[in-house]
Amino acid sequence: MEFQTGFHWYIAVYLFLAGVGAGSIVVASLADMYDRQKYLSFIKAASVIGMPLVSIGIFFLYIDLGQGMYKPWLLLLLFVNTTSAIMWGTLILTIFTILSLLYGAYNLGILDWFIKKAGFLKIFKPLAASGFMNWALIITGILTAGYTAVLLGVLKAIPFWHQTALPILFIISASSTGISGAMVVKELFFKEEAHLAKIETTHFYLIMLEILLLIGMLLIALQGVPEMKFSALALLTGEFAVEFWVFLVLLGLVVPAVVFAFVEAGKLHVSGGKLVFFELLVLAGGYFLRHLILHAGVYTQKFTDYIMIHY
Amino acid sequence: MYSADKTKKFAMAYIVDRCVDCKACMVACKAEWQIPDNDFRTHIDTGIAPAATERLSMHFLPHQCNHCDDAPCVTVCPTKASHKRADGVVDIDNRKCVGCRYCIPSCPYNARFFNNQLGVADKCTFCLPRIYDGLMPACVTTCPGRARVFGDINDPESEISKALKDAADNRYRVWTLRKDLGTEPNIYYIQK
Repeated sequence: MEFQTGFHWYIAVYLFLAGVGAGSIVVASLADMYDRQKYLSFIKAASVIGMPLVSIGIFFLYIDLGQGMYKPWLLLLLFVNTTSAIMWGTLILTIFTILSLLYGAYNLGILDWFIKKAGFLKIFKPLAASGFMNWALIITGILTAGYTAVLLGVLKAIPFWHQTALPILFIISASSTGISGAMVVKELFFKEEAHLAKIETTHFYLIMLEILLLIGMLLIALQGVPEMKFSALALLTGEFAVEFWVFLVLLGLVVPAVVFAFVEAGKLHVSGGKLVFFELLVLAGGYFLRHLILHAGVYTQKFTDYIMIHY
Repeated sequence: MYSADKTKKFAMAYIVDRCVDCKACMVACKAEWQIPDNDFRTHIDTGIAPAATERLSMHFLPHQCNHCDDAPCVTVCPTKASHKRADGVVDIDNRKCVGCRYCIPSCPYNARFFNNQLGVADKCTFCLPRIYDGLMPACVTTCPGRARVFGDINDPESEISKALKDAADNRYRVWTLRKDLGTEPNIYYIQK
């Protein structure tokens, strides 16, 4: 009877921050293509958190490295093995970080400031303002959010992670928490009377989808191989049950879903401090989703009877 | 150092009836390789046969790196620090390992751990330097019950080839762990 070891809380923080950063930029790019002027405050808010959060996430990944921490030249080797999901992720994150840096600098006016200082930088402005940039950010942003789950999903040694639903769940959660992150920044720093009904509606449906997908994944896991069932039970009734039911299900999903449902029905108006509070709940739920899926999988019990199946 | 001999394919067999869970293998390995306090390159699991059966029995299951032919740790290692040698040994090049720990959960056999002293992933190497110096792995030398049999399965005269042939001739039960995952492990279990 053994427990897997290996991934720490740093990894959960990385998965969460990369999701929020990528999700906010994906939604902002979609809004940009739909109606830039109408959603400008949201786009600016997303630009504040997009690239920086992904970079902070990568920093958590970096401080978790053993040797790579003090032998940084070894990081170049992260591109060496094409069969490794870490190699795919490094490539995706590199492209997404560069693109979202340029896009963010353009949206926040920082690019114009740099162009005044160094004129040749103006060559980047048409690119940053282009539809191509929006599409590139949507694609690389979805890949960034999805990759954080593919990283776990390709490991067939941990059945709870080895599910196609996981990347979909992470992409939905990234978009939802990305909206929340940008909404918080918008309320705090870009307090314009913008009407963001479409984004709020999208947010509500994303949370509902997340709840349904999570229920489906757990029901399937309960019928899975013993390790998978152990992981699901660790969440539902086992050592992670309190965190699961209180922080993820109740506070992170159900409370925001109910509140946003009333908002959708026009029976409630939430703004300012109250909106920030509920968006922070969604963000906390997003963190616990990754934290719990990581731990329920990685600390699954290795079943002696199961591995001795050919005994 | 200890370049791979392509003509050989190293493997190990446990004759599980002989294991008494004395843990001498775990200690010998730890002493040989100066493994950090809380870590081991080889383990012995204890299993109790299901209570529903008439005859209750206890099983001891030694395990370690299975030196898989299709090793998940080699597939997922971004730097190619984890690699499959031509002689069948799955080895870690400490000079290349960044310490990302990805290989650790990738292993279905729980064979890897993170060596905090070195900042790299660590696991059994079949005692590479010892076997190229003509010695047996430390765990094999130490095992008082001679539960562990090691050698080159390409050589029909090696001890492991003879043990596997003997098992086949006598119709003993021979199996590998988690065959369902398709990792092609090179640790064989024999029950007489």
